[in-house]
Amino acid sequence: MVEVYSEPDVKKIVVVGHVDHGKSTLLGRILLDTGKIPADKVEHVRKTCEEKRVPFEPAFFFDALQEEQEQGISIDTTRVNFEFDGHRFLLIDAPGHIEFLKNMTSGASEAQQGIVMVDCVEGIRAQTSRHLKVLSILGIREVIIVVNKLDKIGYDESVFNKLAADLADLADGEGLKCLKVVPISALLGENITKPSENMSWYNGLPLLPFILKVKEETLDFTTGSEPFRMVLQDVYKFNDKRYFAGRVMSGEIAVGTEVFFSPSGKVSTVSSIETFPQGSRQKAFKGESISLCLSEQIFVERGEVISSTKEVPEVETELSARVVWLAAEPFNPDNEYLLKIGTNEVKCRVEVVTKPGANKAPVTVLNNGDITDVKITAERQIAFDRTLASANLNKLVICSKYETVAAGVVNLKSGRKVETPVADPNVVWEQGYVERAQREEQNGHKGAVLWLTGLSGAGKSTLAKSLENYLFNSGYKVVVLDGDNLRTGLNADLGFSPEDRTENIRRISHLAKVFLDTGFITVVAAISPFQQDREQARKTIGDADFNEIFMFCPLEVCKSRDPKGLYKKVTTGQVSNLTGMSSPYQPPANPALRLDSSKMTTREEVTAVIDLLVDNGIVKGDIKVAAITPQEAPVR
Amino acid sequence: MSSYLDWLENESVFIIREAFNKTKNLALLWSMGKDSTVLLHLVRKAFLGQVPMQLVHIDTSYKIPEMITWRDEYAKKHNLKLIVGQNKQALADGMGPDKGRLVCCGALKTQALLDTVKEHKLGGLMLGIRRDEEGSRGKERVVSPRSSNSEWSYKNQPAEMWHYYNLHVPDDVHVRVHPILHWTETDIWDYIQRENLDIMPLYFDNGEGRRYRSLGCAPCTSSIESCAKNLDDIITELRTTETTERAGRAQDREDTYAMQKLRKDGYM
Repeated sequence: MVEVYSEPDVKKIVVVGHVDHGKSTLLGRILLDTGKIPADKVEHVRKTCEEKRVPFEPAFFFDALQEEQEQGISIDTTRVNFEFDGHRFLLIDAPGHIEFLKNMTSGASEAQQGIVMVDCVEGIRAQTSRHLKVLSILGIREVIIVVNKLDKIGYDESVFNKLAADLADLADGEGLKCLKVVPISALLGENITKPSENMSWYNGLPLLPFILKVKEETLDFTTGSEPFRMVLQDVYKFNDKRYFAGRVMSGEIAVGTEVFFSPSGKVSTVSSIETFPQGSRQKAFKGESISLCLSEQIFVERGEVISSTKEVPEVETELSARVVWLAAEPFNPDNEYLLKIGTNEVKCRVEVVTKPGANKAPVTVLNNGDITDVKITAERQIAFDRTLASANLNKLVICSKYETVAAGVVNLKSGRKVETPVADPNVVWEQGYVERAQREEQNGHKGAVLWLTGLSGAGKSTLAKSLENYLFNSGYKVVVLDGDNLRTGLNADLGFSPEDRTENIRRISHLAKVFLDTGFITVVAAISPFQQDREQARKTIGDADFNEIFMFCPLEVCKSRDPKGLYKKVTTGQVSNLTGMSSPYQPPANPALRLDSSKMTTREEVTAVIDLLVDNGIVKGDIKVAAITPQEAPVR
Repeated sequence: MSSYLDWLENESVFIIREAFNKTKNLALLWSMGKDSTVLLHLVRKAFLGQVPMQLVHIDTSYKIPEMITWRDEYAKKHNLKLIVGQNKQALADGMGPDKGRLVCCGALKTQALLDTVKEHKLGGLMLGIRRDEEGSRGKERVVSPRSSNSEWSYKNQPAEMWHYYNLHVPDDVHVRVHPILHWTETDIWDYIQRENLDIMPLYFDNGEGRRYRSLGCAPCTSSIESCAKNLDDIITELRTTETTERAGRAQDREDTYAMQKLRKDGYM
């Protein structure tokens, strides 16, 4: 049994380029010249070539289909494991004809690095450029460019140099780093495993030694600490135990960790990690297919992304992505499509985004091979990670009924606008005569904001009211800004969409700032589900005065309390977008306090908050909760 | 090296779980050979020791007799739900390799398999094929949808990106799922050794200097010269061999594209 699992050191390389530029021939040549093909297979290909009266063709080791051999074209992709000089490679052949772009893309999606083949007689052709674009979309960052068929131009150095410069520019334009340009003859095996006398002007390494060198130089690659992500594939029930089965896409997970499910927003704790036949273990790592058992029983289904409660993925209904269209059937903006990210699948609509300033009619047609930005509007929320490419949770496919029609990545900038409104530059702040410090002196205490965040039913309002009661009766200036109360007036125009929730929090934080500047201890009780919005509130209010208090309470307890009857209404369909049920909750990463109202009494919670205020010098240390009886909250 | 086998295993378990979740009545095609026995072990890995699906064996009646004995003992010992499919009509009509090897494979394997899929309403079949076995298998997808006549449309296969598999298919289509497509013959033996799997004795030399490297029907499968008596011997032999795995399978050599032709019609 492994204690620490790490992904194996296999370099996955795809060979791409225009049709007939020699991709399969190169791969066949590499295997042949390194002695990786069994003698009887070489004999089989030799015989086939004789039957067809063609010269010995190394491409036939990859192009095994009859149609491929007869027409000298690769129809589909294949891959070969290749071990050389103690290094493991996965060599992926990709067809170069536009008609088979979906096959090329299928092969390339597995790769980490690309070899771009260009025939020096034909030069840069349509699929050369397109394949570079596709590699870029698939998240590949490095390419080696191989100029082939030098034997056909008499090994002309100047032709090579010109083409090499153009190709390096082309790769650069697609955001691909060109590691080297190598001149070869794949058919004759020149400059592949060893230098070619015919190209003595080339003083770099031949192709295979260069690939090995690149791999050796990247051997010390360390993954660093990535956030934990696991995709939930299924929930099994065996022998009365429930197993949450899936694969760790990044980071690691240990027993005892509190885990967060996106998009449902549910929370539980890992009680054990199970594999067969080894049984329980303490930890699991990136790449492993495992099953989790949870200590709190929650209902979740396939499609969730599991993370820690500290670093959660993004959850949206709308996102923008760059995709390549892969279907013979053209795009139709009126069709309903299916969006897949992780193990989640959501019905969606797709719109083609036209570049600003293009001054063109909206694009409504995409054909096979077209590459474009699209806006995807999903029927339900979906979790993803636009910045965590290694977990593949920024990669998506779009399907029509039974077919994958497009593949791409979530763009770095979201379709959702979360920019804080900025005042007109002509508006000037009018400075008053009374300063906050003077008010605080008169009040006899400093002001502060206590920001209570958590699920509905977690006890935010109860704690806010008890704090207000206690502080008021102790002679403090205190006010409660309750999210629900403000929604009856100031925020009555706002709903519960992510955008409206953001605006709700923006307004509450500015109101809290007004009270803070007046020297009040300002208690905010609002679900405030998004980390990003709370961070914006922290900026508005000021880090020193902002005290984030995470009202943690298991969803199942909140549901059983259901003080406003909202959870019940979700089950009957009268309410949608309830945080924790159909809308996500992103827990704070580093709250000033974390209070579990399923385990603490209100008095204990008040004591904890007062201790925090004492520590921060807001209230005086000699007044303790025990000295004055706060009004006890109703029995929960 | 252990981490490489773990990686193969983790990939396969992911695929098996995807297929199981998405496919109505998924079954495992078990030939009792090394590959499908590894696959069966991976199914247990995926489901915490359970085998929550039926196994299918296509019995041509020409199998090497030891295979059938071993099959029945193994299935009983492990309490497996085994469907044995057979083209009884073709056998009654006298089908055999003397009618032509490819014709015989088509009737007793492909047709029997297709009939079994229909009879038992199997939405999908998991197969232990690997890319390195032969050229046409090298072109396979992990998930390959097969229309009602079981045909493999190798000239127009679906896009299969990253870990997104095409498991959503019309009702009259069944999927072929290939969870160990990315393994090699050597990987299989390394894994059998590491996991200490129970494997058919025909793979080992019992003192006569011959063993089977690939198992099939008795008339069309020949043993190879080899003194490999245990797993270590086999692994050492594979690292230096100059022949391909299926060299002992006569049907592969009936025609340059024999396998492609058989597999197009739905052969394993």
